[in-house]
Amino acid sequence: MIPRRDVRARLASRHELSPTCFALELSSATPFEAVPGQFGMLACGCDLDPFLRRPFSFAGVRAHDTGTTIEIIVKEVGKGSRALRHLAPGNELSLLAPLGKGFSLEPSGGAPWALVAGGIGLPPVLFAAEVLARRGVTFDVFVGASTADELLLVERCGAAASAGGGEAVLTTDDGSRGERGLVTAALARRLAAGRRYGKVLGCGPTLMLAALTQLAREERVEAEISLEEPMACGVGVCLGCVVESAAGRRVATCREGPVFRVAELAERWWA
Amino acid sequence: MSVELATTIGTLRLANPILTASGTFGYGLDLEDLCPPERLGAIVTKGLSPMPREGNPTPRIVETAAGMINAIGLQNIGVETFCRNVLPELRRRGAVVVVNVFGERLEAYEDVIRRCEAEEGIAAYELNVSCPNVTAGGIEFGHDPRQLERLTGRCRAGTRRSLWVKLSPNAPDLVATARAAVSAGADALSLINTVRAMAVDAIRRRPVLATGCGGLSGPAIKPIALRMVWEVHRALPAVPLVGIGGVETGRDAVEFLLAGASAVQVGTAIFRDPQAPLRIVRELERFCIEQRISSVAALVGGLQWP
Repeated sequence: MIPRRDVRARLASRHELSPTCFALELSSATPFEAVPGQFGMLACGCDLDPFLRRPFSFAGVRAHDTGTTIEIIVKEVGKGSRALRHLAPGNELSLLAPLGKGFSLEPSGGAPWALVAGGIGLPPVLFAAEVLARRGVTFDVFVGASTADELLLVERCGAAASAGGGEAVLTTDDGSRGERGLVTAALARRLAAGRRYGKVLGCGPTLMLAALTQLAREERVEAEISLEEPMACGVGVCLGCVVESAAGRRVATCREGPVFRVAELAERWWA
Repeated sequence: MSVELATTIGTLRLANPILTASGTFGYGLDLEDLCPPERLGAIVTKGLSPMPREGNPTPRIVETAAGMINAIGLQNIGVETFCRNVLPELRRRGAVVVVNVFGERLEAYEDVIRRCEAEEGIAAYELNVSCPNVTAGGIEFGHDPRQLERLTGRCRAGTRRSLWVKLSPNAPDLVATARAAVSAGADALSLINTVRAMAVDAIRRRPVLATGCGGLSGPAIKPIALRMVWEVHRALPAVPLVGIGGVETGRDAVEFLLAGASAVQVGTAIFRDPQAPLRIVRELERFCIEQRISSVAALVGGLQWP
């Protein structure tokens, strides 16, 4: 396990990805590592506003000569994300990381994997894809969004899929780019056509993850999904972010997750 | 210049006056890599009941201005698991442990204390009396001085260890509940618990929290907590108090000491910064050096009323 700590990270750059989303590159002078699916709690504002840190999964972590670049993708939804949109590069931020359990990325041999992302669920899936490609795992990447405008990092997703020896499948709800409809429907069509997957990884809206869980159960394929729940602390003590486990326990998403094997979660969660 | 940080809560001597508040630091080891429990005055555990509890449905937390509202519903691992799996390591590390106790009936408090009495390494009990008493129609133990006196008396009979009662700011008469707890044998009072509050989702026209209401914590409640600590201190100057409510800095801690607290608990600040208690100890020490105060004990109750 990689020790968690309070990392001082400088905002190196910000670039817009879509009308609502932007990417931040944070630069840490000290070495930093994380497993795809792990996250950090970022202090977004100044003083007490916003009061709590915000959780962000990493889209990538790259070591270089002078430290580490940590990439996160932010969707502007409220106070914290708005503060990040207006923060000038050069400012220092406090990032408590890495936290939680990430995806299990041990190569399984055999069938390719399906990596499925919906909307702002892309970062941990993209990070996982880039790590899996280096490990020689083959996979398809499915990326869904509401509209063409909201499809994030399309070229990088395509490059990751190529590196993984598979295809990048884009979907939009309105059909403005890629296949029309839900990203899970695109996966279901591949399955119906006879494509077999060894493992499924997913992150996205709750309804998407519920559909993904159902598909994985029907196909009897191992699946891991990354959940998002409101959390105050990110370190397992506030117990705000609990989800129900298969054993009927309420477990903290931040500590037992955010990545869960679907078999670990109660049916009530997804049904 | 060296500063004496030690403080006493009745007969209990603590190396420094910074404690963790119940429900914000797990059972003492959850954040040990970031904030070693043995470096704090004491740690107060998450509230323990006789059996494990799963707590309330979600959403259970919501951020508010300078604070948050929670309705966790006292989820906890139960006293048995705590005593078996957590306490031995706390003991080995030399942490000062205060067990926070709650139950839905009087006997549950007694059960938790009885189980803990079989263990070494517990310095004090803190009774969470903001739990609804199911046998008395769901009224919180801490809202009725007579109920509180009975509860405190029964717990007092079960232990010779320090007994603290954590007062609710929602009680109709704070000083009356304070007197009731002390008359039944409480060694100290900790205050305040969270302030009953609600957040509303204007679009959905519903409360944000699944339970409707919850408890407000954080800097938003600090002025209320300071006023209440001062009121109880003035009414009961001989009773040791532990101040709780929105402590984020060493200077906040000093404010509570001046108002009459002999120690303070850091709570919601830990959610923002798991290292906050250690930082607050350092800041408190620096404040004393700058202000030429040789002992934090000298600050207690030092408020000069206008």
